[in-house]
Amino acid sequence: MMNSAVQLLVLAVMAVAGFFALWFKDLISSVISLAVFSLMMALEFYLLQAPDVAIAEAAIGAGLSTTIFIITIRACRRPKSREGGKEW
Amino acid sequence: MVKKTVFVVAAILLGAFVIGAVDGAHPFGDPGAAPMDDYFLANALNDISAENIVTAIVFDYRGFDTIGEAAVLFTALTAVATLLREGRRKP
Amino acid sequence: MNPLSVVVRTVCDLFAWFMIVFGVNVLLHGYVTPGGGFQGGAIIATFIAFLLVAYGGRRVASRVNDRLFDLFEEVGLLVFFILAFLGLPVTFFFNFLAKPLAESAGGFIPGVGTVALMSVAVGLEVTGALSLIILTMHRGIRMFRGEDLEPETGHDR
Repeated sequence: MMNSAVQLLVLAVMAVAGFFALWFKDLISSVISLAVFSLMMALEFYLLQAPDVAIAEAAIGAGLSTTIFIITIRACRRPKSREGGKEW
Repeated sequence: MVKKTVFVVAAILLGAFVIGAVDGAHPFGDPGAAPMDDYFLANALNDISAENIVTAIVFDYRGFDTIGEAAVLFTALTAVATLLREGRRKP
Repeated sequence: MNPLSVVVRTVCDLFAWFMIVFGVNVLLHGYVTPGGGFQGGAIIATFIAFLLVAYGGRRVASRVNDRLFDLFEEVGLLVFFILAFLGLPVTFFFNFLAKPLAESAGGFIPGVGTVALMSVAVGLEVTGALSLIILTMHRGIRMFRGEDLEPETGHDR
């Protein structure tokens, strides 16, 4: 019963984080929502007694992929119009 | 209007597929009969004295898949390095 | 890049070194506790991300040497494949160092044999690959702007 309540809470936070990842107009906020989603997913894997997958998910999903997304968002700027749109 | 209708129909179809797939899955916590899992659980500790059976499966019983994982990572690194290394454009 | 607050930078600088210790712990004890090569390598690769937050791109690019991570990648993959091929008289990936549970006490290499060694090798490979991906991406995004490493006023203390 207790375990089910915790799992329901974690899954609800996952759903909310997924919704906000789509809802935010700011891309950085979206990426942070995805990091929260990954963190909750790691917690859920841990509750389902798969600690190996939980460690991998926490390191990759919440740590490294967030970094890679933010680096990519920094790289993608609006093209400058005075240079004919070719300069990014 | 047509776009909205198509969207609603697609959403209903996708929901029906998801509900059907979840309904057809195994019940929670019961993966069914799996003799290979039972073999790993019974023999991994005694044969190769592996306390962590997941690592024993990844690196010993299913080592060939780990080669694939290493190859995927190496391919990703090669792609990133090919596209982005030496980021100096010719003036 | 806008400078982050000094709290964030100090905490990232502090935690980066603990991440290395935790990752090596996960890596080396992969055959006893949950973890293993991939997980430990991914945790160690978080070190570079923390350093990028703490010090900024210019100082990391001037201090960190890419050849080290190249070496990690090559050594890891080579040790992994050599250990796999050494079992070839029986089969590919034969665990030729393993001992049964009854006689596995003691010894420099634990009784699981190649599982522990391959775990360390794959951990080295994953560390090198993920760190190089982050470093290369962070350096390469300036290619499209045609400018050198930006001054980053707030990060350099």
